[in-house]
Amino acid sequence: MALRKTVVFGWYLLAVSLPAGLTLEALHALKVQVYLGSEMRRELWTLAHAHGNVLGILCLVYAAVADRFLGDERKIAVISRWLRMGSALMPLGFFLGGVLNFEGDPSLGVLLVPIGGVCLLVALVRAALATR
Amino acid sequence: MSAIKAVLALASAPIAIGIALWVGFDVEKNDAELPLIHRAEGFVGEQTCKRCHPDQYETWARTFHSTMTQRVDPATVVGRFDGAPVEFYAKVAKPYRDGDRFFMDLPEGETGRRVAEVALAVGSRRYQQYFERVERDSGSVLRRLPILWHIDAKRWMHLNDVFLHADNPEWNAHAAIWNQNCIFCHNTGPRPGYLNQERKNEIVPDAQRSFDSHVASLGIACESCHGPASEHVEAYESVAARYFDHFASSNDTHVVNPARLDHERSTEVCGQCHGQRIPNPVENHYRWRVTGPTYRSGNRLTEHVTPVRIDTKLPGGSGDEFALRFWADGTPRLTAYEYQGITTSPCYEKGTLSCLSCHVMHGGDVRGQLEPEMRGNRACLQCHEDIGKDVQAHTKHDPQSTGSQCMDCHMPRMVFGVVEIHRSHKIENPNPARDAEKGRPNACTLCHLDKSPLWAADKMRELWGDAYVRPKSRPDKAPLDLPDSVASILSGDPVQRVTYAKACGAEGSALVAEDAALVRVALHATLLDAYPSIRWTAQKSLLALESRLATGIEPALRDWRHDGPKGTRESIAKRFLQEFQKRSTNALRAPMPSKLLSPDLGPDLSAIIALLDLQSGRAIHIGE
Repeated sequence: MALRKTVVFGWYLLAVSLPAGLTLEALHALKVQVYLGSEMRRELWTLAHAHGNVLGILCLVYAAVADRFLGDERKIAVISRWLRMGSALMPLGFFLGGVLNFEGDPSLGVLLVPIGGVCLLVALVRAALATR
Repeated sequence: MSAIKAVLALASAPIAIGIALWVGFDVEKNDAELPLIHRAEGFVGEQTCKRCHPDQYETWARTFHSTMTQRVDPATVVGRFDGAPVEFYAKVAKPYRDGDRFFMDLPEGETGRRVAEVALAVGSRRYQQYFERVERDSGSVLRRLPILWHIDAKRWMHLNDVFLHADNPEWNAHAAIWNQNCIFCHNTGPRPGYLNQERKNEIVPDAQRSFDSHVASLGIACESCHGPASEHVEAYESVAARYFDHFASSNDTHVVNPARLDHERSTEVCGQCHGQRIPNPVENHYRWRVTGPTYRSGNRLTEHVTPVRIDTKLPGGSGDEFALRFWADGTPRLTAYEYQGITTSPCYEKGTLSCLSCHVMHGGDVRGQLEPEMRGNRACLQCHEDIGKDVQAHTKHDPQSTGSQCMDCHMPRMVFGVVEIHRSHKIENPNPARDAEKGRPNACTLCHLDKSPLWAADKMRELWGDAYVRPKSRPDKAPLDLPDSVASILSGDPVQRVTYAKACGAEGSALVAEDAALVRVALHATLLDAYPSIRWTAQKSLLALESRLATGIEPALRDWRHDGPKGTRESIAKRFLQEFQKRSTNALRAPMPSKLLSPDLGPDLSAIIALLDLQSGRAIHIGE
């Protein structure tokens, strides 16, 4: 059940992040100033797009191999939860950080990034320790 | 995986990044340690500003302010250092390159030669000047080299020929010292570091002066307009302070944002350089030479400097030291006096006009620092909305014509600088009587180039009322019924001549191409002018007129060199004038009865010479 949720989440994350990349390219093509004019926003949204894609793929890969290497249902469920949470918060934090950012600093939405990062670290450490 | 391995793996990246940052290249530190750079008086340099303001940095970096003064390397030097000889005043220079170093092989004295290595480049828009480092005692000077690269013309020119000077075969006449001239306005936070302090009470000859100069930034960088930023940087190193001030919408008091100043203080920020000035009190000039100007953005400018005006006196001076830099009514006629222009304009005196009403420093076209719409009537209509509802009712001209362009009437092009003619920044109404009697260009006749001041005065009275009267005389005594352009080109002083010579070739003037015979004759006569920059302007205007209506002179005129050997140059120019009638008969119409041209377009050389004789003998020497 936990792995199924992670697979669905991974696909959803890719479904959001891939078109986000296309949208950013379109903003470049159309020379949309509100995007291009802020280096901070460009950097944060690019990071949101990249993290969304990579973490979406990570969720799919994790779901594909977790059974084989981790085995324990309970552990898989816990790690899956941390992984999904981190994978959602990091790209969201980067995106929100670039929404109401000001000169040189992101908006407070960026605080979701370290929270997401901690979630991913927890998932990583628990997965590493649980690997047989 | 063991717990120890996991911890090591997790810690490896942060540790590697920390080490890389510790030993790696530090842009800010490197910047501060470059020769000529100081970090005194709270200046931090633009690389520090870039850390938090990358967008502002980028929009500044593409401006000509940022490249005003540059170190010499293949990326910054625009001149052609290919070793090809360039000749001026019968002497030859050879600019050449050796790897990433740039040199000039120059004439020295009557027959000698010397090699100078280029150490600094100043200018990046219209032309680039070059400086060599000359070591002296414990210090050094950066001395200007005698030729410069004209960027648009893509050619070398002698300094004398781009300034407003008569021909001068003295090659080193303009060997100015950067440390006591250019440093002040072409850099940020200048500290000239004059070293001859034991001779404080005597005038030390230029050749003996020595400096240990530093600037906060080469070129006009962030802190020129925003003030020294070290306190600002210190205050906002803290993330909490940044977010607190952002959400509290509190204004940072550590740096200045000129857009938030009132219009007077804001204008003064630009005026610190775009308004020629002397120290206030003038005795501070010695302090300036050591530690630099004291004005900082946001200060009251006049507490630090006295902006130069037509009647500004220097101690022990005659009182007219600066008179030639203004038209006779006190209107500035050189660039770098824009502050004096704007601050004597009604829009500033009675309104809230500032430089930032039209110009932007972080956007728009870097050529003029203007958003596109500010080149047109939008600039004025943002305040004068009512006029915009019916432009023709105000201008009495076709709304699509240049006569309905606010700036062409109220800010005419009559200011000389960098061998170009620029808009006056004194916003005022044209007045043919005032302008003719004060010997200054008139907005009407700068466009209606075949019309006289009398015609302009009559038209003004007809269209705008009895306040406008006919002029009584011109200071140069040229006839008032002669087209103002022709009289000014032939009889005016050098700034009048170059202004009208430029206007004659301008796009969008009211001059019909077929009716330009008299103007062309005057321009041909100007090819014999004693001032090379005026000759060049006349040549370019003749080429512009020729491109609109060809008479067959274009190839020969293009080959003619305004700075070529005098004998050749003048004999060709005289031939152009002599052949004018033959060349123009089928292309141009005869003007109204004129003493200068016969009905069949034959120039009356004696009448032209009589007008040329009216030119004031008072020489004007305007450099940079």
